[in-house]
Amino acid sequence: MAKPQELLEDSPGKKVLLLANEAIARGVLEAGVRLVALYPGTPSSEIGNNLTFMAPKIPNFYFEFSTNEKVALEVAGAAAVAGVRSMMVCKGPGLNVAADPFFSLAYVGVRAGMVIVVADDPSMWSSQNENDSRYYALMGNMPLMEPSDPIEAKSMLLEAYAFSEQFELPVLFRTTTRVNHTRAPVEFGPISSRPDKIEFEKEPFRFVPIPAVARVRHPWLLGQIEKAREFSETSLLNFTEGEGDLGIITSGVSYNYVKEALLEMNISAEILKLGITHPLPEKKMIEFLKRHKKVVVVEELEPFLETHARRLAQLEKITVDILGKEQGFFSRVGEYSPRIVIEALCKINTCNTPINWADIDARSKTELDLPPRPPLLCAGCPHRASYYAIRTATRGKAIYPTDIGCYTLSIAPPLETADILFDMGSSITTACGLAEVTDQDIVASIGDSTFFASGLPGIVNAVYNQHRICLVVLDNRTTAMTGHQPHPGTGITGMRKEVPPLDIEEVCKGLGVEYVKTINPFDSIAGLVGEVREMVKWARENHKPAVLISKEPCALLKAADRRRAGETPPKYYVDAEECTACKRCLNRLSCPAMYMDPETEKAVIDETQCNLCGTCVAVCPQGAIKREAE
Amino acid sequence: MASNTSNTINIAIAGVGGQGVLTLAEILAKAALAEGLNVRVGEIHGMAQRGGHVVCTVRIGDDASGPVIDAGAADLLVGFEPVETLREIHLVKKGGYVLMSSHIQYPVAVSMGKAKYPDHKDIIDSIKKFTDKIIEIDAHKIAIEAGSPRSLNMVMFGGIIGTNLIPISKESALKVISEAFPKKFEKINSMAAEIGLEQVKKQI
Repeated sequence: MAKPQELLEDSPGKKVLLLANEAIARGVLEAGVRLVALYPGTPSSEIGNNLTFMAPKIPNFYFEFSTNEKVALEVAGAAAVAGVRSMMVCKGPGLNVAADPFFSLAYVGVRAGMVIVVADDPSMWSSQNENDSRYYALMGNMPLMEPSDPIEAKSMLLEAYAFSEQFELPVLFRTTTRVNHTRAPVEFGPISSRPDKIEFEKEPFRFVPIPAVARVRHPWLLGQIEKAREFSETSLLNFTEGEGDLGIITSGVSYNYVKEALLEMNISAEILKLGITHPLPEKKMIEFLKRHKKVVVVEELEPFLETHARRLAQLEKITVDILGKEQGFFSRVGEYSPRIVIEALCKINTCNTPINWADIDARSKTELDLPPRPPLLCAGCPHRASYYAIRTATRGKAIYPTDIGCYTLSIAPPLETADILFDMGSSITTACGLAEVTDQDIVASIGDSTFFASGLPGIVNAVYNQHRICLVVLDNRTTAMTGHQPHPGTGITGMRKEVPPLDIEEVCKGLGVEYVKTINPFDSIAGLVGEVREMVKWARENHKPAVLISKEPCALLKAADRRRAGETPPKYYVDAEECTACKRCLNRLSCPAMYMDPETEKAVIDETQCNLCGTCVAVCPQGAIKREAE
Repeated sequence: MASNTSNTINIAIAGVGGQGVLTLAEILAKAALAEGLNVRVGEIHGMAQRGGHVVCTVRIGDDASGPVIDAGAADLLVGFEPVETLREIHLVKKGGYVLMSSHIQYPVAVSMGKAKYPDHKDIIDSIKKFTDKIIEIDAHKIAIEAGSPRSLNMVMFGGIIGTNLIPISKESALKVISEAFPKKFEKINSMAAEIGLEQVKKQI
């Protein structure tokens, strides 16, 4: 990680190795952005992770980890309406959460520059879908920009703010995982200052879209988009490079793959690289289509540019072969690579690929049958103890609605406590639906950050409508999956200020939950199993929701604390004399710190990986797992 | 990409989440940048990282623009663990090198008896279907020798420099280490890199 301190340096011209996410955080400083609000989501997480540590050192700057994405967009939107530059950041599914204010913001527009960064996730490295957020720009009539690498992530961001102010519209700034998580040398520019507090000038007949106002604003918005289109026609963000009979239209990360493919194949083509992809520079595209007999469109996910190219060709009656997803040259699924572009171009040009991939693929297939290594709960993760207890108490027979976080990994054997998931907060609400149409017990689970982000309306629903659901709140005191950001239960804000935390137990009671208990999952596994059983019984008998809060900090945080403090607490070990090799510890817990020694055929704890939770001690029927004396 | 475009050096780094693969990729790229070279790093974060298979890419050279290394295009595959090395072996190009740590970290599926960990000989034989330029060290053992098992990635960093495939000097490498880590870990990390470098040098 580039240190947040380094991103604050006033050293124009310095080249630093940055992730695009870090480059965007630096861009906030250079563009004079006054307020940033976001809810963390991979692949956009490092933007907030850096800004939170930069924020207290930037004069007249405010940063917050908002409760969720809808809240973040409203907070940031209001700042830009008032007249200071602002930013909201989210992952693809996060924009779905923020869709409601998104559409209104385009109608009312902004007085100062506003950018909404949305990070899509082709191949779904950390997401539940790979929807293409570019369609939001079309549906909401919001300008759209797509940087292709970390260098553009910063330079284009500065352009986006100027553009936003010129047309009084927020800009949707769409990245993808391979942009967000690529590092490249990025040159620092000068830092801009930010205004202090400003006076909000009232203009209700613009900023309150009652029908009479909205009816005026919609044609205004469409007019602004056409003005922006003229800008898009001449903008340097939409450029052509190279020469050749073949034309290639591309945007985002695919631009790099196109360049590398042409180099590798040693062929020439004219590339139309689009940085502003809504409103499109239609005249420029029409001229491009007219210049070529064949135009290949290279873009990940949906045929967004491709469809527009076909529309324009039809309107202008241009005779040109537009080749892309419609003919099956490219897929609508997953990330691209130079190989994918080369293979498509070779199919189109009927030539051989420069690397014999068919041979490599064939040789790879004859590889050994390798043991899988999917992601899983860390050694010492408190969720492992909680899920072991949930599963044991309900003998695997209850329905287990789950939610979005590390704990979704409990889907894997042997925990197998994830049965249904839609989106953030759906553990509680799907439980409500299931409770009305089945007779099975229902034990839902949700993380602490997700609880605050989207869980509260579900709790209110369960209380008021008297759904007999059980909810375990896995309170690990952080937003673990995305890199340990604070949330309203932690007592730390985005500005790193200490504030009174919201207590989950008190919140549940305040919302009317009658059965609420808090336990520590590492205190006693048997006790935890008993608590789950009691909760299930209570919910069934009382036909009301019951909540159990399983509270213990994330193992990674505790391990980092120990390292910082230089502590070396006593270790756990398996007494080989007493181990009968029953494998119960391995089969029930699937802890990555335990394995069978192939020589002694006894269970072993890898002390370099063990995070000292001690859950295995309770699971061993022989009492063979012990801890060294202090 | 780029197997023919000779000015790009492609390094793929594979391992298990938590072993320090991402940190190594960043340190290596910083050292390249310190040598005045153009560089790109491809990383994966979030859920994909949690104890699962991880692969990062480092591409050095003027024509490197994207982060992706395709099958058959890596000059060097760095593997933190035997099975994870073999999992990415398709990336190695003809005549490319494999630098692998021999220390095994058993996947949970193997511990649970649901899968078998292949024999060392079978792993080497499978790698040889792609390249016979295999450099093997026990980076885990070296890391403990240097003072901490967590310095595993710096053993591999030293090893990469030791291959002489990358235009990064030992001095630049050690300087980046000293700048990247807190002072109290610097000695262990530098030591880890130096031993890794020497062990690989002996095998080249």
